[in-house]
Amino acid sequence: MTLTKIDTPEIAIDQVSMSYQTDTAKVLALKDITVDIQKGEFVSLLGPSGCGKTTLLRIMADLIQPTSGSVTVSGGTAKEARLARKYGIVFQSPVLYDWRKVKKNITLPLEMMGLSKEVQEKRATTLLDLVGLSKFKEKYPWQLSGGMQQRVAIARALAIEPEILLMDEPFSALDEFSRERLNEELLSIWSKVGNTVVFVTHSIPEAIFLSDRVFVLSPHPGRLSKIVEIDLPRPRREEMRNSPEFYQLISDIRNSFEGV
Amino acid sequence: MKSQISLGRLTPAVVVVLALLLIWQFLSWFLVILEVPLAQSKIPYLHELALTFSTYSGTLFSECSVTLTNAVMGFALGALGGVFLAVLMSISKWVEQLAFPYAVASQMIPILGLAPIVYGIFRDEQISRVLIAAYMTFFPVALNCLRGLRSADPQALELMYSYAAKPWSVYWRLRFPQSLPSLFSGLKIAAPLAVTGAILVELMGATRGLGVIMLRNLYYGPSHNYMFWLTVIFGAALGILSYLIVSLIERMVTPWQPEFRKSGGDE
Repeated sequence: MTLTKIDTPEIAIDQVSMSYQTDTAKVLALKDITVDIQKGEFVSLLGPSGCGKTTLLRIMADLIQPTSGSVTVSGGTAKEARLARKYGIVFQSPVLYDWRKVKKNITLPLEMMGLSKEVQEKRATTLLDLVGLSKFKEKYPWQLSGGMQQRVAIARALAIEPEILLMDEPFSALDEFSRERLNEELLSIWSKVGNTVVFVTHSIPEAIFLSDRVFVLSPHPGRLSKIVEIDLPRPRREEMRNSPEFYQLISDIRNSFEGV
Repeated sequence: MKSQISLGRLTPAVVVVLALLLIWQFLSWFLVILEVPLAQSKIPYLHELALTFSTYSGTLFSECSVTLTNAVMGFALGALGGVFLAVLMSISKWVEQLAFPYAVASQMIPILGLAPIVYGIFRDEQISRVLIAAYMTFFPVALNCLRGLRSADPQALELMYSYAAKPWSVYWRLRFPQSLPSLFSGLKIAAPLAVTGAILVELMGATRGLGVIMLRNLYYGPSHNYMFWLTVIFGAALGILSYLIVSLIERMVTPWQPEFRKSGGDE
């Protein structure tokens, strides 16, 4: 591995702005966002609704195009990264295909990559094990709880072995207990997979618990107001949520919203 | 215990059917004693129908099977054509704008007028029956299938986009499966229509089929009254049967639809 490779950020966001034209006015959803994300980093985009965090994620995923500015992913464009299947995406709702059983939902992207049945089977088995759903592989998605469905969605996103995992408020529809449990599970999965994660959330504790760095966005127009380094040691455990350092970080981030 | 429960559930239905049959039989008798002209052609006695059926069941079943075979062939042809057009229309707005008005207009042509024209062109009862049945099947299938193909969840489409999926793959893995419930709605409307269409062409002059004996027994007048009634009842039964068969296939093909879901399996 060369040094230059480490120096090149995995995702470089350069002067990205996004504006929408509504019937009455022009809305500036994002204004001049410039930030780098390193390879293997876990980053959260945190902010209240309307701060454009989801818009920024969708721009990175090449689902929408920015009005101005550019996104560079490991040296190429976001589109090239998408076509090279570097992204695994997890949405707020699981978006599972009702007519496919759990295992077939996970192998969906693999079918499109044209992988052999044996490879598909092998990856599905590994992933089902990873998200703890081996017993449910022959169930339909609607036979599972919301938390389990989201775990299937994560397994499906990981199936293509993406270099970048993009997660758009994946746990926000779940109750607090499931959410905290899944936070810990996600970290344990990430520690094994080790890819770059961009995680959108409006929960301050969730962002702190998961991330290496938290990008705090503020609304109207959406802009990057602060980057908070989370220096809590890893692996992170449930008990950390009660540590003074954790509370200190929460109040730091909360204060950064005060002036908004 | 279990059979007791299902028996208990069935009881109301059985009682209603029995009551309706009794009322029918009573009305039939009532018309006869009132000496209403042609009383038996208005509301025939059930036991007379049963008697006629026991004598002519062989004829009825064999003619029915001819009609059903043609209806099924026409249904298959019309369904395939409908799905094919729906796929084309969903792919291209241009095709939709071109084809859709004609598809709608085609449904305005009275079948009663179209059937002799088709018969006149092909001079073959077999082909005519199949074509009319297909013609009646085609529209509800195309319309419902198109709606189904258009109903794909936007996020599911984005997911496909993020996988850099090929267009045919999006159709095969997402749009088509998602459209199946709508497609089956169309097929369930179309199946009895295909039967009606087949019978209708038989009325125009065929040699075999339920429509043929229906017409013949109507012409022969009161003496064949019970047989005529039986052909009508069998026609209705064929329609119901076709609907039930499509419903059964739907249940097997799309067990994931909300209405078929068995609950349970939750954590």
